Amino acid sequence: MQVKTSVILISLSIFLLVIDLIRRQKITFRYSFFWLFTCAVAFSLGSSPALVDRLSSLAGFTLPSNFVFFLLLSFFIILSLLLTLYINEQNSRTEILAQKIAILEQRLKKSERQSVSPENPGS
Amino acid sequence: MEKEKVLVTIPAYNEERAIGRLVREIKDCYPQFHIAVINDGSPDNTAQEAESAGGSVFSLPFNLGIGGAVQTGYQIALEGGYDCMVQIDGDYQHDPKYIMAIIAPILSGELDLCIGSRFLSPDARFYRSTFLRRVGIRFFAILLGWLTGIHITDPTSGFRATGPKLIRRFAAYYPMDFPEPEAIQIAKRYGAKIGEAPVQMRKRLGGRSSIRYLITLYYMIKVTFAILIDTLKRKE
Repeated sequence: MQVKTSVILISLSIFLLVIDLIRRQKITFRYSFFWLFTCAVAFSLGSSPALVDRLSSLAGFTLPSNFVFFLLLSFFIILSLLLTLYINEQNSRTEILAQKIAILEQRLKKSERQSVSPENPGS
Repeated sequence: MEKEKVLVTIPAYNEERAIGRLVREIKDCYPQFHIAVINDGSPDNTAQEAESAGGSVFSLPFNLGIGGAVQTGYQIALEGGYDCMVQIDGDYQHDPKYIMAIIAPILSGELDLCIGSRFLSPDARFYRSTFLRRVGIRFFAILLGWLTGIHITDPTSGFRATGPKLIRRFAAYYPMDFPEPEAIQIAKRYGAKIGEAPVQMRKRLGGRSSIRYLITLYYMIKVTFAILIDTLKRKE
């Protein structure tokens, strides 16, 4: 009973926290989707221990607690995979941005030199 | 009306088949308007086609999605001090003839956001779209009507015009993917006056709708959620 209430409380408070973060524009829906989904799963598993028992025996676990640990581990593995993906995306975008800026800067300098030099050779 | 500065923003991703024709059509109808084509990292010839048709092309270094492209338009409009920004899809689906109809209420100060609706058109040459899409449009119409109290018949329409008040707001924050229904709720939160004008839509030329099949379901959930969360934000 105590486990049930704490699981429900924790998943509910993380859910509300994530919603508040979206509301304050600290996180976008794309990056919060996985968290909200996991909270919903934790909430439904926490509120019905019978479901945990059924699912764990279906998945071939002898102990339901092992099944819970397995789910937790899966959550972190998928989360870290997603984070790696996001980092890679950011990385390639920053690279492209840096290259574009370098090209722009060179072009700007070149056109500045061309527009300045005919009338004002001193500058 | 000639004196007002109007920017026509065309977000385009892989629209090489339609963009040139569209830009030329807009220039024929409205030579006084500036045309900004936001090339959203297309690998095809969208930029060259738009440039040779006479549009100003802004090429994003990578694909930002429709929201990011439209927001670029808002930033250009803000920097250039435009009185009105019209957004029109790059796939030839929206007929530029109707631009005047949707910017008129903005320029007269009657509305801050005017959406071109395919369902208000008196000439019922009804635009055919898939069943799922019509259900989606209806769903968002009801949801927005319930939340904002404004009845919009075509909330997913990307043919819309905004005034200076919203240009400033949207340049700072605009939703990223499938932004149209959410932008209406955001505009309402900023206290904008929102309305619709009848337009006709045509068959798209090339390009594909960004909303298909299973992704539709994700978008329905995402946008509903985003609109609901936006209602929790502080009103201004």
